[in-house]
Amino acid sequence: MNVLPFMIIIPLLGAFATPIVGLAGRRAREAWAVLVSGATLGVAGKVLYDLWSTGKVLVYTLGARSPLGEGGFPIRIVWELDLLSGIMAFTIAFVAFLAIVYSLEYMSHDTGLEKYYTLALILELGMLGIVMTGDLFNFYVFLEIMSIASYALVAFRNDTWEGIEAGIKYMFVGSLASSFILLGIALLYGEYGTLTMAYLAKLMGENFTLTAKIALALLMGGLLFKSGAVPVHMWLADAHPAAPSSISAMLSGLVIKAGGLYVMARIAFSVFGLGVNLKTLGWVIILFACLTLIVGNAMAIVQTDMKRLFAFSSVGQVGYILLGFGIGLAAYGTDVGRVATAGAIYHIVNHALMKALLFMVAGAILHQVGSKNLNELSGLARTMPKTTAALIVGSAAIIGLPPLNGFAGKWLIYESSALFNPFLAAIAIIGTAFCTAAYIRVLYTFLGRPSERVMGAKEPGNAMLVPMFILVVAIIVMGLFPWAISEKVMVPAASMLANIKGYITAVLGGA
Amino acid sequence: MNQRSLHSDMGVIVKTTARATIPLIGIFGAYVVSHGHLTPGGGFQGGATIAGAGILFLLAFGLGEMKKKYDHHLYSALEGLGGLVFLGMAMLGLGVAFFYNTLWHNGPFNGEPGTLLSAGYLPIMNLAVGLKVFTGLMSAMVAIAMYRRWKE
Repeated sequence: MNVLPFMIIIPLLGAFATPIVGLAGRRAREAWAVLVSGATLGVAGKVLYDLWSTGKVLVYTLGARSPLGEGGFPIRIVWELDLLSGIMAFTIAFVAFLAIVYSLEYMSHDTGLEKYYTLALILELGMLGIVMTGDLFNFYVFLEIMSIASYALVAFRNDTWEGIEAGIKYMFVGSLASSFILLGIALLYGEYGTLTMAYLAKLMGENFTLTAKIALALLMGGLLFKSGAVPVHMWLADAHPAAPSSISAMLSGLVIKAGGLYVMARIAFSVFGLGVNLKTLGWVIILFACLTLIVGNAMAIVQTDMKRLFAFSSVGQVGYILLGFGIGLAAYGTDVGRVATAGAIYHIVNHALMKALLFMVAGAILHQVGSKNLNELSGLARTMPKTTAALIVGSAAIIGLPPLNGFAGKWLIYESSALFNPFLAAIAIIGTAFCTAAYIRVLYTFLGRPSERVMGAKEPGNAMLVPMFILVVAIIVMGLFPWAISEKVMVPAASMLANIKGYITAVLGGA
Repeated sequence: MNQRSLHSDMGVIVKTTARATIPLIGIFGAYVVSHGHLTPGGGFQGGATIAGAGILFLLAFGLGEMKKKYDHHLYSALEGLGGLVFLGMAMLGLGVAFFYNTLWHNGPFNGEPGTLLSAGYLPIMNLAVGLKVFTGLMSAMVAIAMYRRWKE
């Protein structure tokens, strides 16, 4: 039996049933949320293993056995997963599961928690749907599910001024970006008369019109916003500090990647790949990537609020991923391009793990000490040694120190950018230098002389420490086998992403 | 100000008219929901229409009367139930595919097209969506109406 639909069914069932299960009390609701996200993780693991072991694109049709109607073209919604989707789905389910376990203790002082768990499961559902779908409008629906759940979760603590302010800002500009995407999809539908990504890609290869170019520009504009690239990154620096930390971990680790970067790669390669001039598109993305790298990392240095620092650092890391995909497009079909794409995919996974860890650490400190201002937190290593150890691992990983997982992903991007254009490599190195400066500053604060504020601090409970240390273990284990993972998983994923014809024939058959 | 907020209901003409029209709006909404597969409309439109009847009740009789009739847990659970019924219908044909309309292909809801029981899972899904939209909109409106006060 095909397990694929259960990746949507289980979180959907979980979210719909949470208000009913919640009537049985607090324990039941928490156990239900953990159970549902754990089961989703199991399904995502199975799907990833199937994709990896067979090496084929997995297609699932809703409503019938075949996506094709009597006319011989696809008429139904298809879910189409290649290895990149599988990796994304597993990362999403993994981090979302840990974030939900983490929030059992972290959110315990808040009210309205039945809504919190419903929204968290819906956020996970939206992201899983985005990475699964092979239909443009279905993608838009899942994007809105994800976006609206994240607007509500950013403003979840509605008794704080910053939650409301960040929520309003995020929602206003986020809805505008979503409507750009919808407009792009409407233009494509008017021009080609289909919304199935694979069939659209085939039609575009035969006849690429000006309307399609405008649609691509609108889609890219919206998606750059959703991924927090530089000219439109301002929502991210407000939303991530204001959200509850378990949600910041999901927002920064997952939402910007599922709703922004993954879809950008999918649309650039799989949908527009046969029509558009990939070199031009690649250079446009590289331009934004360079801006993002420099601005995001440089702004991280000057922050005094810990979560805001991590948020700007997320913007900076998005720059690396964009750079990888940009080079992958501009150097399409060469080894350099493939390595860059593999590096970008690798860095998506790595950054999801380490940024989730860092936001969980920030949440633990905010929860135990009551402050996220770095000027007040000196000497926390004395009173919260375990949390500080997790912070050190996360910071070292994000800078890219060799024994940890951040190294390999960044190395692939440096290497390919140096081979592609040494100027880009120099920009990437400058970004990392800024990033190192920012994190050294955080570490220096933590290892300094204890301030009065932190003297009475205690370690958080196990429900918060265990997810953090699972992430630490994942970061270290992935760091021990970087080239094996790269060869066996990331490079095949990049090759599958670059194989546009394979993506099309998986749905349309030999036609 | 305080006098008005204590008496948030309307005058006797509005109340009497509301008594007459609320059932009519509700019945029309139920008609739109249940004939969603035959005539224009469907779950969302019908659900929103029925919620319109509820909002008329809230406006005409005031928040005090509404609080007596409205149970937050019940509406929340019913909204979840609407979603679960929709999901359950989508899963019935899981042996073939998610959203496979097995009630149409294998019965029992496979009557002559144009009759009420003719579209497989569609009428049931419309009822589920109608329930969800009605309870969701009502909960949202009552929550906004109950929002603490104008000034801090």
